[in-house]
Amino acid sequence: MSIIRLEHVSRLYGFGDATAVALDDVSLEIEPGEFVAVMGPSGSGKSTLMNILGLLDRPTHGTYQLHDRAVARLRANQRAKVRRDMVGFVFQSFNLLPRLRVIENVALPLAYKGLLPGRRQKKAADMLERVGLGDRAFYFPSQLSGGQTQRAAIARALVNNPKIIIADEPTGNLDSAGSLLVMELLAEIHRSGNTILFVTHNPELTRYATRVVYMHDGAIVHDEQTALGEVAATARKVLYTLPVQTEDHDLAGISTLMKHVPSKSDVKPEPKAKSKAKTTKTTPKTKKRAPRKAKK
Amino acid sequence: MIGGRGSLKLALDSVRSNKARSGLTMFGVIIGVVAVVTVVGLGQGVQRQIEAQTNQYGSNLITVRPGRTTASKGLQGLANTDLLFGLNSLNGLSTQDLHAVQTAPGVSVVAPLGIVSGTAQATSGPTQANLPNALVLATNQDLPAALSHSLASGGFFKSNDNTANVAVLGKKAAEALFEQDAPLGNSFSFRGQTFVVVGVFDDFAATPLAGTADFNNAIFIPLGTAEQLTQNQTLFYSILAKPDKTGVQPAVRAITNNMQAVRAGAQDFSVLDQRQNLAASSHVLTLLGGLVTAVASVALIVGGVGIMNIMLVSVTERMHEIGVRKAIGATNRQILTQFTLEAAVLSGLGGILGVLASLAVAGLLRVYTSYHPVIAWKAMIVATLASFAVGLIFGVAPAMKASREDPVEALRRE
Repeated sequence: MSIIRLEHVSRLYGFGDATAVALDDVSLEIEPGEFVAVMGPSGSGKSTLMNILGLLDRPTHGTYQLHDRAVARLRANQRAKVRRDMVGFVFQSFNLLPRLRVIENVALPLAYKGLLPGRRQKKAADMLERVGLGDRAFYFPSQLSGGQTQRAAIARALVNNPKIIIADEPTGNLDSAGSLLVMELLAEIHRSGNTILFVTHNPELTRYATRVVYMHDGAIVHDEQTALGEVAATARKVLYTLPVQTEDHDLAGISTLMKHVPSKSDVKPEPKAKSKAKTTKTTPKTKKRAPRKAKK
Repeated sequence: MIGGRGSLKLALDSVRSNKARSGLTMFGVIIGVVAVVTVVGLGQGVQRQIEAQTNQYGSNLITVRPGRTTASKGLQGLANTDLLFGLNSLNGLSTQDLHAVQTAPGVSVVAPLGIVSGTAQATSGPTQANLPNALVLATNQDLPAALSHSLASGGFFKSNDNTANVAVLGKKAAEALFEQDAPLGNSFSFRGQTFVVVGVFDDFAATPLAGTADFNNAIFIPLGTAEQLTQNQTLFYSILAKPDKTGVQPAVRAITNNMQAVRAGAQDFSVLDQRQNLAASSHVLTLLGGLVTAVASVALIVGGVGIMNIMLVSVTERMHEIGVRKAIGATNRQILTQFTLEAAVLSGLGGILGVLASLAVAGLLRVYTSYHPVIAWKAMIVATLASFAVGLIFGVAPAMKASREDPVEALRRE
């Protein structure tokens, strides 16, 4: 029994000539207990996929079954309740409410569920204890480090015992130490049986995943199972060995030069998350055009 | 529904986190509430003072005034009515009228009140104080009986003093001229004549809305003396009468008949008993109160629009927060509740502050004026609830906007 079953899901924006396809006929099944890394260049539809899986957004076409419940056509209020009860969100920019204390932030989903203040407080405190922030409960988010803030956000995502946890680049704003803390926490949550999906640009982080999904132009182009603790085979290839030859380069007359660049990065990627983020930022153009060439 | 206490706390937090803006937003509501509560309190206070005076002067006092004054004339009545004794400078009652009242059957005591203008100058005592535009009232020996008021010291002039240069002072006038409570035997000059003080009245209760007719500031001189000073030009703004045992109503009818006879049937005067007097003033007060309440309601509505405006800004500013709240499971209804409550708390707080401010205003009025505004509990409760309601009503539109926002769009905003 799969916990997530997407069938022929598309998400279109705009009308007529101006229609943009964010998701193009995506089908995806995820089993309970999977730890899925979603990779792909900017604009490849990762976030749209996450939004639809997390019921923030509705697919234009297709069906979506979450925990055997058809949720693709639910109305806003029902989607809100499904989000509240079955989905935990972790964001790149943490998104804790700055005016609430950490414990109040964590307790917020419980408040929306209608729990009484006493029980909210207790559950939120337990959850903060679990992520190792028991002593920071009454701090404000601005008084925490990045890694601590993200752990508080994870506590908030977990507090309603969701079926799935969706993390959109959870380490995107963190330094390597913070990233490590956050990923170890997610791994621990995964070990205790949760289903987790996370978006990342960092191939190193696929070590934590049991499955890696690659997206491009709104479609899933590659899907592989991977052993825990190992970097997925294609992860490096996709990001670092794509052909970089483009028309722009031809025009500039440097294509021959550039051809030799990729071979260098067969070497293990840089250990620092920060420098990697830089690399990914500078490469989207190249990556986008790559598969077209590959098809030829 | 998010727990009541939780959302209330959230709303308060939000108000607190932006004090300056919240304060300015509440200002309109505060002004509206202060206006309503103060006016209602003042009106009730004045009403109460007038009632107290009615009792002080005796419920059987009959007042004859120039001009037609009825309780039903409303604003026109206001124009030529002084609230208590009909101080009216346009026309007055003559000695013939006085005679007509005096000869009416069933009337036992009659005292006229006529103004004689001029400056009073003390000619004895510690200071040579002078009182420009002193309120000098020409009357007769019956005034203490008509007002049911006694003297603090000395005695009132008798009927055989009618042309004597004697005077009885109100308490404040005595202090102003001679700086003492009982300046008996002291003298002052007025329009070239020297008057000797023979008595001082007890304190009169404050007269609201009729400062010029405050008997505490008045100097009473005999009618005959006044006639000599003015070459028989004295006009009375009021004639006070008390009936004998036959009762108030027969006396009123008799006076009316006599007056009409003197005036050849013209109805350009009023004979009012205390009940009518009260009705006339309370009618005017009600009208005034209604008018100011209407204006204050407009202030409340303007305050509401201010709140709506600021809530719209707040919703736009907090779009990201709305996105986050929705992502973690807030329904549209919960967002709607949050923002509506916030607006209601904002304006309800304004209402409460307004009530506090109106208490301060009432205190200041009591200290610095002769008004004694009543603490109008009912008005305070109603005003606070009304401002809360205004917040609810004007907060709904921005809250709707917030609740309908698409979560993906909202999250994208920073």
